[in-house]
Amino acid sequence: MSTPERSYETASARIEEIIKRLDSGEAGLRETLELVREGRELVELCAGELEAVGRGLEELRLDELVARLEAGGSGGSGGSASP
Amino acid sequence: MSETRPAGLDGSALKGPFPVGEYAAALRGQLRGFRRVQVFGEVSNLGVRAKAVYFELRDVNGALPCSMWRSDYDRLGIDLHNGTEVVLGGGCDYYPGSATSSPSFTFRATAMRVAGEGELLAQIERLRRKLSAEGLFDPQKALPRPALPRSLGVVTGEGGKARDDVLAGLRRRGWEGRLVWAFAPVQDRRAAPLIARALQDLVATGGVDAIVVARGGGSVVDLMAFSDETLCRTVALLPVPVIASVGHHTDRTLIDDVAAVSCSTPTHAAESAVRVHCGEARTAMTGHARRLQACGRRAVIERARRLEDLTRAPAEHVARQRSRLHQKLRELRAAGRRGVELRRAASAAHLTTLTRRSAAAGVEHRRAQSALGPAATDLDRVATTTLARRERDLERLRLALAAHDPERTLERGYALVSGPDGELITSATGARAARRVSLRFHDERVAARIEDGS
Repeated sequence: MSTPERSYETASARIEEIIKRLDSGEAGLRETLELVREGRELVELCAGELEAVGRGLEELRLDELVARLEAGGSGGSGGSASP
Repeated sequence: MSETRPAGLDGSALKGPFPVGEYAAALRGQLRGFRRVQVFGEVSNLGVRAKAVYFELRDVNGALPCSMWRSDYDRLGIDLHNGTEVVLGGGCDYYPGSATSSPSFTFRATAMRVAGEGELLAQIERLRRKLSAEGLFDPQKALPRPALPRSLGVVTGEGGKARDDVLAGLRRRGWEGRLVWAFAPVQDRRAAPLIARALQDLVATGGVDAIVVARGGGSVVDLMAFSDETLCRTVALLPVPVIASVGHHTDRTLIDDVAAVSCSTPTHAAESAVRVHCGEARTAMTGHARRLQACGRRAVIERARRLEDLTRAPAEHVARQRSRLHQKLRELRAAGRRGVELRRAASAAHLTTLTRRSAAAGVEHRRAQSALGPAATDLDRVATTTLARRERDLERLRLALAAHDPERTLERGYALVSGPDGELITSATGARAARRVSLRFHDERVAARIEDGS
């Protein structure tokens, strides 16, 4: 499961905030450079997330996945499945 | 096949033997003569053929092979499934078969309705209240739901339309991540546990960020699997958000209530699972990156310009201040000169005035002196006269005083009598009272005793 420390939505929301702050013209040089640095990192993070879902649909079948895992000796499908 | 009637069984009292076809036809006649009735039970072994629909109607005590002409079935508009409870109207029938086809008994249904929808709805409602009271509608909704999942799980019927709809929704979002299909039956009695199992397996092995459970709709009976208590409890406690789409607008299934999100169609479910439009987001990110870069550059350049201005500013400021100081200095000097001149002029004027006044005073003095001359002489004379007279008066007074001086009187033979306390005694009574007295003559004192006692 993809659980980046910062999710796409919080990162993109923060980018919006940063741009709003920069547009306000109230930030000093140090803050501006700090915000730009943070914004770039977040844009990279978001771009990475978008890149991860832009390389072509990868379709798998759960039964095959389970079979593969079981064949790999991982020991069953896990969970307390009801019959 | 011989058409001649064979001999019967030895010793048998039964009629016949009859040709089987004839007996079968008679049997059909008999069965068709049975009273037509309504029967109810659960559909199983359903088979939909070109000419007829075949199934068995069962309950716990028995079963009846049933059929319905396809034309009758299609007119009903019922989507029949195994497990559906139905009420049938019809009667017994028998297909006698032929030389090449097998005979069969059937309950030929001519009318049908799905039974127990009202009871099912009431049952769902009771379960809804129960699950709600247990707080099972909330956990899924409290789960964080990523706007842009990397991996999705989809539980749906294999080959169903829902699968295409999900794909269409994902295409619309421009999403091309990892999709794990968990195919499961989605409408009969086996469906609920298999769906629950698929969900658990997806969480355990699929590594998915969200799960879509999709079905293309159906009647309450069709969708009963999605109101199954065990399935709903499983969904409620899954650690991954479930987006339900069982495509039913009027009667919500319980999975709609326990899931994180409920959508009306699988397409919407897919769009809800991926809330970000990937293409637009990429464009937006490119824009953001450009703006950030521009902001950074602009900030630096603007500051650099300002710094440059500031660097120039002190020199200009000093020069400006210096010229201002020079100006002030010139003004001060001029003012100083002007002040000295003014004071000098004022002093000269004062001098002139004083000189003039001094001269005037001299003249005045002289005139006063000359005016005072005779008066002074008169004054001197008056003073001299007055002085001589005053000296004479003083001599006379001195003499008068000398005449009255007690010392002079004592010298002439008088004496002063005083008591022991020094007080003067001026009477004989006083002298007698004092008894001891002091007599002062002009040269010295003499103590005396008064003997003239009273």
